[in-house]
Amino acid sequence: MATTTLEPPAGAPAYQRFWVLDWLTTVDHKKIGILYIVNSFLFFFAAGILALVVRSELAVPGLQIVDQDTFNQAFTMHGTIMLFLFIIPALSGFANYIVPLQLGAPDMAFPRINALSFWLLPLGGGLIFSGYLFGGAAAEGWTGYAPLTQQGGVGTDLWIIGLLLVGTASILGAVNFITTVFKMRAPGMTLFRMPIFVWTVLVTAVLILLATPVLAAGLIALFIDRNYGGSFFDPSVGGNPILWQHIFWFFGHPEVYIVILPAMGVVSEVLPVFSRKPLFGYKAFVFATIAIGFLSWTVWAHHMFTTGAVFLPFFSFMTALIAIPTGIKMFNWLATLWRGKLMLTTAMLFALGFISMFLIGGISGVMLASPPIDFHVQDTYFVVAHLHYVFFGGSVFGVFAATYYWFPKMTGKKLNEPLGKVHFWIHFIGFNLAFFPMHQLGLSGMPRRVSDYSPDAGWTILNMVSTVGAFMIAVSILPFLVNVVATFINGEPAGDDPWEGNTLEWATTSPPPPYNFDRLPPIHSERPLFFLTHGHGHAAERPADLEEDEAEDVEHRKGLV
Amino acid sequence: MRSTLRVGLPLVLAGLFAAGCMLPPVPKTEAGQDVFNLYLLVLGLAAIVFIGVEGFILYAVFRYRRKPGDDVLPEQLHGNNTVELIWTAIPTVIVFILFVFSMITLGVVEARDEQQEATTIEVDAFTWQWTFRYENGASQTGSPTNTPVLAVPVGEPVRLILNSLDVNHAFYVPEFLLKRDVVDFGDARGPNELAFTVTEEGTYAGQCAEFCGLAHADMIFEVQAMPRGEFDAYLEALASGEPPPTGDEDCETTIELAAVESIQFDADTIQAPAGQDFCIEFTNNDIVPHDVGIVETDFDGDDVAPGESITYLIPAMDAGEYQFICTLHPQAMVGVLTVGE
Repeated sequence: MATTTLEPPAGAPAYQRFWVLDWLTTVDHKKIGILYIVNSFLFFFAAGILALVVRSELAVPGLQIVDQDTFNQAFTMHGTIMLFLFIIPALSGFANYIVPLQLGAPDMAFPRINALSFWLLPLGGGLIFSGYLFGGAAAEGWTGYAPLTQQGGVGTDLWIIGLLLVGTASILGAVNFITTVFKMRAPGMTLFRMPIFVWTVLVTAVLILLATPVLAAGLIALFIDRNYGGSFFDPSVGGNPILWQHIFWFFGHPEVYIVILPAMGVVSEVLPVFSRKPLFGYKAFVFATIAIGFLSWTVWAHHMFTTGAVFLPFFSFMTALIAIPTGIKMFNWLATLWRGKLMLTTAMLFALGFISMFLIGGISGVMLASPPIDFHVQDTYFVVAHLHYVFFGGSVFGVFAATYYWFPKMTGKKLNEPLGKVHFWIHFIGFNLAFFPMHQLGLSGMPRRVSDYSPDAGWTILNMVSTVGAFMIAVSILPFLVNVVATFINGEPAGDDPWEGNTLEWATTSPPPPYNFDRLPPIHSERPLFFLTHGHGHAAERPADLEEDEAEDVEHRKGLV
Repeated sequence: MRSTLRVGLPLVLAGLFAAGCMLPPVPKTEAGQDVFNLYLLVLGLAAIVFIGVEGFILYAVFRYRRKPGDDVLPEQLHGNNTVELIWTAIPTVIVFILFVFSMITLGVVEARDEQQEATTIEVDAFTWQWTFRYENGASQTGSPTNTPVLAVPVGEPVRLILNSLDVNHAFYVPEFLLKRDVVDFGDARGPNELAFTVTEEGTYAGQCAEFCGLAHADMIFEVQAMPRGEFDAYLEALASGEPPPTGDEDCETTIELAAVESIQFDADTIQAPAGQDFCIEFTNNDIVPHDVGIVETDFDGDDVAPGESITYLIPAMDAGEYQFICTLHPQAMVGVLTVGE
């Protein structure tokens, strides 16, 4: 179903380096994107094994498998690695690969900075993990609450430094994305014709640019406290431990949207393509994304309701408000399905999985916005359930939807669909077995981050179910890995546009050549490729614009020639 | 229609079942009852949203699935401002209901914090243990082998003053549906307080809910709610049961031992002579209480407050290797006592 032919066809570049050297030194956004994604999945597997350690220990009461210290290190590393070295970089990887293509650009704005921000990740992640070699990794939880962080060993210092490097990578990446979006768009690609994925990446980049330096400042202050006798956070020397919580969550809550917005963008690409309809309410969706971005700065202290040190009505109200733009998105997704012609590919299943699971995380989030309810369930497994329905049911489902959706573009080969569906169903059932019971565990009072619980507490059965679910998730990764490897070796060729896509990445070859495009189709809407395939008979919007644009296109082509 | 029912009915039943499973414990405090009622309201709203949205997704998947070979495009709907307005209004109404009822309940819960006439109990949370101090001077510090008990009078307002001696902790009794962080705010402000009225006699499990390091999971306690008469008797017994402070003893051998910052002894090994009584002069230089116990002999010295010291008289022991611990922190404070000829 090729829609364009490239001339000259994408082939071997004139000048070829040894492939290892080529990958190590590349500044091509596509190769860097793949490096991001592969690196992220490696950290995903490592942090997943830590999750299995945690779940195995909690399966039955008593300490059977690890001691308390190992347990605390495991859940701390699990949280830190999953968030900072899997979900964010995986979505950044897809953004790196896809955003320039969707904008019709030859590369990111700053290719060398792009390479730098990738290479800081394995370095930072390696430092965080290296605590295991030096007397134990950080064990204070991924939130690193002061003054507990005063106590940790070298592992905690390595955690701080590693996070600083990862944060620097994020900031550099954000600058790059913002510049790319504003300066590198192809002619005709106005802001309101950008694909929703690009919009979500843009808003995410702004959040990263404003939030991550706050975390970096906090981490530096913490490092000074620990090593040079500072007194920012330690009350015994005049510091304020609540200050750390303010700094951390002032970063940490925008961080939640940093993690979820690009995944929402992925879903907003996948649902329309496999419903064979445009996204319902494109502009409403853009405004809702921007609204979430703004509101994310006003809600941080809802993580601190039980500290007794924050003004509850304000933070409760602002947190509840976020449900409105999120609700708008949910309705627009549903309306996109309405009267469509749904194709249940694996990518579509993961996208549908995203909206049905993220809904649960959203609902429990609104419940937590109510201070009296939060007083009961704060710091219990209810919160663990909530955050996994957002991060895992949301973002990670989004990462897998993106993987199945864009794999053909990146490799030229389609992942095997039956195997993909096996992956999806084991994953989906395992996920719900693992995390749904945690709501009830939390409501009945099981605190998070405990290595053990009393056999009399009545938590044993639900914990066992949850552990079984966690192992099902691990098992579901096997068909995925087999699928990826088998497809690399002997996959079905994908062609340029296997899904009848809407956006420009499908207008070039799979995989795209260096610098992406020899020639771009005209861009008159947010679905340039759809119009190329199906003609303007379906154009419902802006006929007047269309003529102007066509005149511009002609001018532009003259200029190129 | 039939397919709608076929999908919808099990979904509604599953939703109700899931919601029915998702309940907090029956509250045992007055404020907890208000929280419980608020929770029921919110759970009801959540169930409606859940069933509506998940139901629609399932409906769409069955109803709008593309037939093989169907290459005709569906109608290309781009949006509709009226419906956008409607579904902006729906979540707006829901969150306003939630917010208003939350604030009403919050008012009730917080009104309790301002009650003047209440039995005040000081709660000292420190790394992995609790001390409960009562108005008559009686107090109890727990250890892993001796779960601390917080005694409260039933049916009367109780106010807890929540002091942290070190890192952040949280006071949490699930059956009260209440929790408050225990934080050392330094000079910034006074400690948190938590007020409640227990409505029913009984023993309720409680535990620290804010991660506080190595043995966070062991930081449990028990609330015993009892009638006023029993409560007074309990306090009296607790006050009189306090062992008298150990005076300085004359010892031929005195070993110096100290607890130092971050839950440690200053020595991993100590030596004592066999077959004769000896003394351990124990100084607590840490910021939380400690003591010294000898595992094999059941010797368990009195707790020593931060900055204080004590001299323990240890009865004669046979030669051999013993473990000495802080009985409050056996997870972290362990050393070897070598008793030799």
